[in-house]
Amino acid sequence: MNPLAAIGRSTLAFLAGTGRIAIFGSRGVAALFRPPFYWREFLRAFLFIGYYSLPVVGLTAIFTGGALALQTYAGGARFNGEQIVPSIVAIGIVRELGPVLGGLMVAGRVASAIAAEIGTMKVTEQIDALVTLSTSPLKYLVAPRLVAATLALPLLVAVADILGIFGGWMVSITRLDFNSAVYLRNTVDFLENGDVISGLVKAAVFGFIIALMGCYQGMHSGRGASGVGRATTLAVVTASVLILATNYILTEFFFSV
Amino acid sequence: MTDQTGDEDDIMIRAEGVTRAFGKNRVLKGVDLAIRRGESRVVIGGSGSGKSVLIKCLIGLIPADGGRIVIDGIPLSHATRSEVMRRVGMLFQGGALFDSLPVWENVAFRLLRGEDERVDRARARAIAIEKLARVGLGPETADLYPAELSGGMQKRVGLARAIAHAPSIIFFDEPTTGLDPIMAGVINRLIRSIVSETGATAVTITHDMVSVRTIADRVSMLHEGVIRWTGPVERLDDPGDPYVAQFVRGAPDGPIRVEGAA
Repeated sequence: MNPLAAIGRSTLAFLAGTGRIAIFGSRGVAALFRPPFYWREFLRAFLFIGYYSLPVVGLTAIFTGGALALQTYAGGARFNGEQIVPSIVAIGIVRELGPVLGGLMVAGRVASAIAAEIGTMKVTEQIDALVTLSTSPLKYLVAPRLVAATLALPLLVAVADILGIFGGWMVSITRLDFNSAVYLRNTVDFLENGDVISGLVKAAVFGFIIALMGCYQGMHSGRGASGVGRATTLAVVTASVLILATNYILTEFFFSV
Repeated sequence: MTDQTGDEDDIMIRAEGVTRAFGKNRVLKGVDLAIRRGESRVVIGGSGSGKSVLIKCLIGLIPADGGRIVIDGIPLSHATRSEVMRRVGMLFQGGALFDSLPVWENVAFRLLRGEDERVDRARARAIAIEKLARVGLGPETADLYPAELSGGMQKRVGLARAIAHAPSIIFFDEPTTGLDPIMAGVINRLIRSIVSETGATAVTITHDMVSVRTIADRVSMLHEGVIRWTGPVERLDDPGDPYVAQFVRGAPDGPIRVEGAA
C-alpha cells in the first residue's frame, strides 16, 4: 500500500466530510430565517439542553473549582504566592475550564441524545414521514436544536462559572485557611468583564457545535441499531474534538484582541 | 403484459424509465408505470426487489438517477416538494409515528405543523378524532402515546394520519407486515373502503397475496429492477408469466432463484 496515497485519501475524506458538515450547518442556519419556526420544539430542546444539564455541569464545575484551588495553592506555595489562588481559580474557571468542561459534559450528554433521537427517527422512517407531512426536517428538527443549544450553553456556563468559583472558595476557606471576605474581594478585583464575555462567547460557539454534530450524525445515521450507535459515538467524539480545537482558536483570538 | 396506456389526463402517476442505484447496486433499471386516477395499484415483488425504493422515488423522497416521473400532470423534476406532498398521503411500513407526540397530534401533525395551510389546535383535534373514528379507533385513543398502542393500532393511526388532509394519492408501504392475519384483514378492508370512498389513487407495495387480492384493481410485479408484468387482479391466477405465477403460488422452484434455497 502506498502511504502517500493513503494520506491523500484520508485528507480528501476529511475535507469532504468537513465540507458536508459546513453545508449541513449553513442549511440549518438558513432554515432559521424561513418560516415557520417551531417554538415548541425549541422550548423542548432548550429545556433538555439547558435545564436538565444543570446537575452534571454544576457538579463538574464545583469539583473542578475545588481541585483548581488545591493545585494553585500547591504551585503558589513554591514561591510564596499562595494569595494568587482566588484570581487563578476565577480566571481559570471563567475563561477556560467553565466553557470547555461544560461544553464537553454537555457534548457527552446532549450530542449523543440528539444523534440517537434523530438517528432513530431516520431508521424508523419518521424523517421521511415528516417530509410527506409537508414539514422540513431541517426546520423542524435541526434549526430549533441549533438555536436552543447556542442560547442554553452560555446560561449553563454562567451558572458553572459561579459554582466553580464557589467550589474554589469552599475548599480555600475550609482546607487552605483563606479568609472568606478576602478571597471573595480578590476574586471580584481580578475578574474583568472581558474574561466573562470571552467565556460566554466560547460557550455559545460550543453549543452550536454540539447541536450541529448531534443533528448531522443523526441525519446521516446508518441502518439499524448499530448505525444509530455509531452515529451517537461519532456525535460525541466529533463534537468533543471540535470543541477543543475551536477553544484553542478562540483563545488565540481573544488573546490577540 | 405491459402497463396501460390512455388519455394523459386520466393518468395520475406516470413513471418512464426510472433508474436508481446505490453505489454499484442498480436497484431500479428502468421502471415504467402508468396508474389511472382512482385506481388501486399494488406492486408486488420479492424482498429486496426495490419496491420501497420505487415508491420513495415516485414522491421524491429518494431522487431518481434517471427517467421521468409525472404526478397529477406535474413533472416531479419541476414540482416543489410542497406541490407534491399536498397531493400525497403515505402509510409507512412501521407506522413511523412520532414517539413524543400523542396520537391525535400525530394524526393532525400536518394540520398543526405542516408548511401548507394550518388550522387551530381545537379544529385539528376534532379532525384527528374524526379520522381516528374512520379507522375504527375511539376518542379514548387520542391522548395515548404511540408506545402505548399495539402494532395494529399503530398502523391504523398511521392510516388516519395519511388521510387527514384528504390526499388524492395514498401510498401504502407493506401495510400488513408484522400483523396477525385478522388484524391484517382489518387493515386490508380499511384500505379498500377508504380508497373507494375517497376516490383517491392508491399505490400499495406488498408481498402479502391476501392483501393484493383485497386491495388491488391492477397489479404490477417488480423484478430485477423493472416492471415485469402488469394486469388486472383477476388475472393473477393465470398471469401467463412464469415469474408471476411462481411468486403468486409461493413456489420455491421456478425461474425466480432465491439465494440459499436448496
